[in-house]
Amino acid sequence: MKRPPTYYLPWITRPGLECALLLSNVEARFKPGFSVGPFSVSIVQYDARGAVAHRYQVTLQDGTDAVDLPLRPAVGGCGFATVSGERLRSDLYVTLSDGHDYTVTHGRGEFIEGYPGVSRLLLSVAGMLAALGGYTLPIFRRNQYVYLGRDSRSHVLLLNLSNVTNRIRILAGRGRHRIGSTLLRLPPMGSHLLDVTSLLPEPADGTAVWRLELQGNAWFNLYLVGAGFQDLAGPLSLMHVK
Amino acid sequence: MLSATFYERGYDHQVEIIHQHDAEARRRLESLQVSLYDRDGALLATPRVDPAGDIVDLGALVRDSTDARERVMVVFDARYDEAIFPYRPHHYAYLHRPRSPAPPLYYAINAVLGGVPDRVGATHINNFETYVFRRGPFDARYSVVLGCLARFVPVQVQIFTYYGAKRIAQEVTLPPKCHREVDLAPEHESERLIRVEIKALFRIVSYVVGRRADTGDLMLFDHLFTYVK
Repeated sequence: MKRPPTYYLPWITRPGLECALLLSNVEARFKPGFSVGPFSVSIVQYDARGAVAHRYQVTLQDGTDAVDLPLRPAVGGCGFATVSGERLRSDLYVTLSDGHDYTVTHGRGEFIEGYPGVSRLLLSVAGMLAALGGYTLPIFRRNQYVYLGRDSRSHVLLLNLSNVTNRIRILAGRGRHRIGSTLLRLPPMGSHLLDVTSLLPEPADGTAVWRLELQGNAWFNLYLVGAGFQDLAGPLSLMHVK
Repeated sequence: MLSATFYERGYDHQVEIIHQHDAEARRRLESLQVSLYDRDGALLATPRVDPAGDIVDLGALVRDSTDARERVMVVFDARYDEAIFPYRPHHYAYLHRPRSPAPPLYYAINAVLGGVPDRVGATHINNFETYVFRRGPFDARYSVVLGCLARFVPVQVQIFTYYGAKRIAQEVTLPPKCHREVDLAPEHESERLIRVEIKALFRIVSYVVGRRADTGDLMLFDHLFTYVK
């Protein structure tokens, strides 16, 4: 299995909500010998099914240049985009705007898992068998708090950062008390926006905090999606996690 | 790990004092000291917080400990068991003003001392931070909120804002435990704000802040980036 270093950012599009990347190479200013542009940057946008939806090419003129790149809508309305460029080391941003303001978070410099054919086949068969009982192969685990109030909540955007089908089991609860669970099937390089209200009850007042335990059979990551009283039809924020 | 954030009245502000949480519930803090300071550095309170907890309701903590009406700097001094935590995970927090049309925010609390190993071992300047903005035009009002966690000496902070090729410099001096919000003009000579840089002699608490023009609700509350380590 290979893990090529990959920088990625999540994306979401909705009617009336523009999603744009903010690309720069600010760090290049501090690298003697590598600080002179232009810098060529390639972006690949994957849709929720994991298919390449769009490709973009951007040129940064120098180490202080910053370019807005609006992303086009694609199947599923969410996914992630990979960004590559020689000596591109800076953190990059993804923004969500209603035209008046924008919310923003940064991407992640991690990796995409590439499994060879035999491993993909084995994972697929084992994953299907486990799924019959509502389970997955818990090779990777993450824990994440989510927040649910009457007029705000944090949904979860799940990103399958691998070339295999990733069955992600999600257990929701508080302390040792579990109140909900679900099993999601994300295609290779695919994504899923999990509505937390499908797992958790809305509190009568205040903000309830719940813990999600997420288990997947391949590498995955997540971003929180902040929503106000209009929920997913209103302004949103994307938020990185540890 | 010494980290700090700012509490403003009217916000639902929940802080995850420990982020990771395994099935055995071993990954707890050894100790946690919380201190609250006003803008001029006066110690308002040192409320007790159970280090075995998961989440701290910052609004309740500040309301129950002080009668402050203005912004409060909240300092977290967290100690970890080295055997369990080989690194120091940032505290994360959820931030939203009830009944606001703005979406909630989720952010990493700014670590001033400690944090990930390359920060702990930083031998070069780690107090030069950068943040970039979309050109817009957008309506939001931007600022940086800065705090000094030094015990004895004030710190002089330089704030540089960039508008096209033009650079505007501001300076602010922060005595120990003081904090200030410094506004960033959205435009200068018809050029939009594109970048802010902060320089100081030692590491300070720093957040870049964006507020909706109509309601003042927070749309951005995030750390800047350190590119020189």
